[in-house]
Amino acid sequence: MNLANAAALWYLLPLGGIIILLYLLKMRRKDFKVPATFLWPHLTTEVRANSLLQRLKFSWLMVLQLLSLLLIVASLARPQTTQEGLAGTVTVFVLDTSASMSATDAGGTRFDEAIERIKKTVATAQPGDRFSLVEAGPTPRVALPLSGDTARMRDALHSLSPTDTECDIGEGLRLASALVGAQESGHIVLLSDGAFPELTNFSQGKATVHFQQVGQSSDNVAITAIGVGDTPGAKQLFCGVRNFSKQNKTATVSFFADGTVFESKRIAINAGSLFGQTSALPPGAKILEARLDVHDILDSDNAAFTLADPSSALRVLLVTKGNLFLEQALALDPRVTLDKAETVPVDEHVGSPGPGTYDVVVFDGIQEIAVKARGVLTFGAAGSSSIARPTGTIDKPQVTATDNESDLVQYVDLSTAFIDKAEQVEPKTGAQVLVDSHKGALVLASEVGKKQVYVAFSVLNSDFALQIGFPIFISNALDFMGGQATSNVLTIQTGRPVSFPAATEQDGFLTLPNGSRIAVEPTAGSYILRDLKQTGKYRFEFGDKRTTLYASLLSERESNIAPISSLQFKGRSLPAAKATARIADFWRPILVICLAALACEWWLFAKKS
Amino acid sequence: MKAAGEFILHPGEIRLLERLRLNPRKVTGGRIRGDRLTRKKGVSIEFADYRDYTDGDDVRHLDWNVLARMQTPVIRTYQDEEDVAVYVLLDCSTSMDFGDPSKFAAAKRIAAAIGYIALCGSDALHSQAMGRKQAVTRALRGRTSFLKFDSWLSDQHAECDTALTEVLRNFTAGKSRPGLAIVMSDGLDPGICEAVARLGSRGHEVAFIQILAPEEIDPDIEGDLRLLDSESQSAVEITANSQAIREYKNSLQKHCEALASACRRVGGRYVQVTTRDSIQSLVKDKLRRGGWVT
Repeated sequence: MNLANAAALWYLLPLGGIIILLYLLKMRRKDFKVPATFLWPHLTTEVRANSLLQRLKFSWLMVLQLLSLLLIVASLARPQTTQEGLAGTVTVFVLDTSASMSATDAGGTRFDEAIERIKKTVATAQPGDRFSLVEAGPTPRVALPLSGDTARMRDALHSLSPTDTECDIGEGLRLASALVGAQESGHIVLLSDGAFPELTNFSQGKATVHFQQVGQSSDNVAITAIGVGDTPGAKQLFCGVRNFSKQNKTATVSFFADGTVFESKRIAINAGSLFGQTSALPPGAKILEARLDVHDILDSDNAAFTLADPSSALRVLLVTKGNLFLEQALALDPRVTLDKAETVPVDEHVGSPGPGTYDVVVFDGIQEIAVKARGVLTFGAAGSSSIARPTGTIDKPQVTATDNESDLVQYVDLSTAFIDKAEQVEPKTGAQVLVDSHKGALVLASEVGKKQVYVAFSVLNSDFALQIGFPIFISNALDFMGGQATSNVLTIQTGRPVSFPAATEQDGFLTLPNGSRIAVEPTAGSYILRDLKQTGKYRFEFGDKRTTLYASLLSERESNIAPISSLQFKGRSLPAAKATARIADFWRPILVICLAALACEWWLFAKKS
Repeated sequence: MKAAGEFILHPGEIRLLERLRLNPRKVTGGRIRGDRLTRKKGVSIEFADYRDYTDGDDVRHLDWNVLARMQTPVIRTYQDEEDVAVYVLLDCSTSMDFGDPSKFAAAKRIAAAIGYIALCGSDALHSQAMGRKQAVTRALRGRTSFLKFDSWLSDQHAECDTALTEVLRNFTAGKSRPGLAIVMSDGLDPGICEAVARLGSRGHEVAFIQILAPEEIDPDIEGDLRLLDSESQSAVEITANSQAIREYKNSLQKHCEALASACRRVGGRYVQVTTRDSIQSLVKDKLRRGGWVT
């Protein structure tokens, strides 16, 4: 307990002195003659004084008055106690719902433990307190807007469930900061085990951030990588198993081809080390699964899927200094495995030894160079290897013609887009102008040698990214560059939204791994699936098509479930706490005691008067 | 103040008292012949005993019948009759000047009544104003002496500051012959019980009439007061609240019970009256019923 206004205790001296002085004053009594005084008791209760000083006598009234004064002054000093509960009047809970929160080292799961902590904390809410809930999953969202309704908070908590995905804690915290960052009394409470990347670009504003760490153990062994490689003899399945725990572990790794086991091996993995296991694929295998039989506390990373024919997947390298629109549009395609870089790795340069890693390279405002990838998409920075030769710049070009016959610009209308600045280019031999303006070509494509698409303006120099046609254009470009390698079987990482082109306005239907079926409405010509949050097999039916998706976690970050002891952000370290505490004014008990003392004083006065 | 030619007692009260006689428990020897039988053998009509004749005995007291039958001279003896010394001890301390009517006025009326009964009974009535440096008055006898006694009473005032215990100590130290000592006082002295015991130990039959004012028995005071003792002028500061009044009443009751007990221990009598009690009620309800008078 501490005193928020300790200086108020100085009031005790003058006020207490005044009370004692009043008792030092002598009462002027009325003389009354009696036959004998020896029968009268010496009962003097001096409650009034109107004469000069006398010797201080003990009086219960004085004691009670001094006690009341002490309590009143103590109240003025604002004694405060630290109590578990809401840390302030406005609190946003940011709940990590990622895969690591399903670890079962907290009695139940870490997620359940976090839910209970929030419930317990919200139960201490006082009138006027408001709280909110942000679900920090793969796509953070506000599960409950600021409210003082504990019942709604309970409902919101019950509506949440843990996922088998990575999480975006940074975005969740930014969302929370947007809610309460402007308030002095705002508090952001993050409940997580710390299995998330270092926080960047987060400002808490005026709010205070609290980190409640859940979980205790790092006992986990996970499949962190799975893939198929071509070898001279046959295709090989590669599986990487990492032991994240602090003890050496033994596990059984089993490989399945189309549901049938074709290899199983008992392995021993040292603490913290990675074990790689390869196996030749049986002929005709399509869907490959690795399963790990091990005693650990997280199950969702003990299985992973891949396809025997990787052509249906596209490894895309986005060369950019940062472009969220482009990044998200690429990531929406279920075929895409996206990597980002500011420069093209040397291994991808034409002329470097070995085959290239990527199927498609996207240059976003960075000058195009010759790469090994079979497809190149360039925005606003033509290079020597481009299909267009830059001759200058043009301002605010107006679209004059679009090649409607080309699949690349199907459903894409650039005439409604505002383009501030673009490169003025001349098409090279073999390049086809798909969109033209009054000052020069804006979109070109070529299939000579490799498949290349050139867009004369940078995404950030236009509002094209805000147009409905932008993700369609990206999808069309990937179809064009990827050779329209389509498949009705895909493997994805959990939590990642994927889209499929919608030929009709009819709903699609997604069957989840647990067997439940949900309808998916087409949006802007696409079905966007956002509910792929659990590992396992999904089936999506739209129109007359059926696609099967196998979702795996494959995230070292989530599999490394060792809880962190402090949250690092903005160069400072925020230690973890088991619960938030609030500084509560300790005035109610004092008021009760003070009233009791005054009641006693009144009773005593009435009795003696 | 009574007017000239008036007695302290009203004629009706005097008529009531004429037929009464004091009824002391003890038989004390008198100095002169009176109406009270004593243990002494003397001359009266009350037969006491026989004894053998000796030379010099008055032959008028020979029992001739016994002599005739038994040829033995036997003398008849009779109980002697003497007067009883009745001491009216009137408390003249300033504490008696309290109440309306005052305790002293009531005491004087009671003293007059007792004195009149004593005079009617041919007792030797002595009086002393306690608190004054006065000797015990000479004995008054016969109802004709009531005028003197009434006059003496009229001359007394409650203005003495001497403590009651000290006055009684002086009285017992004197040479007064044992008799019926009737004390009329409020008895509000912490040493009164000891004084009563000393009085009894000197052969006096103590009869204590404690006179209290209703304002003393149930005081109607409140507030913060400085109580001044009317005799010693000592002060007690009190807050007169229900608790103080309750404690005072308890103290007064204990004091009166102690006084009554002290009187009984010396074979005496005790009665408490208030200033509002009339002579009639005193005589009928308390003195007659208590056997003080017959």
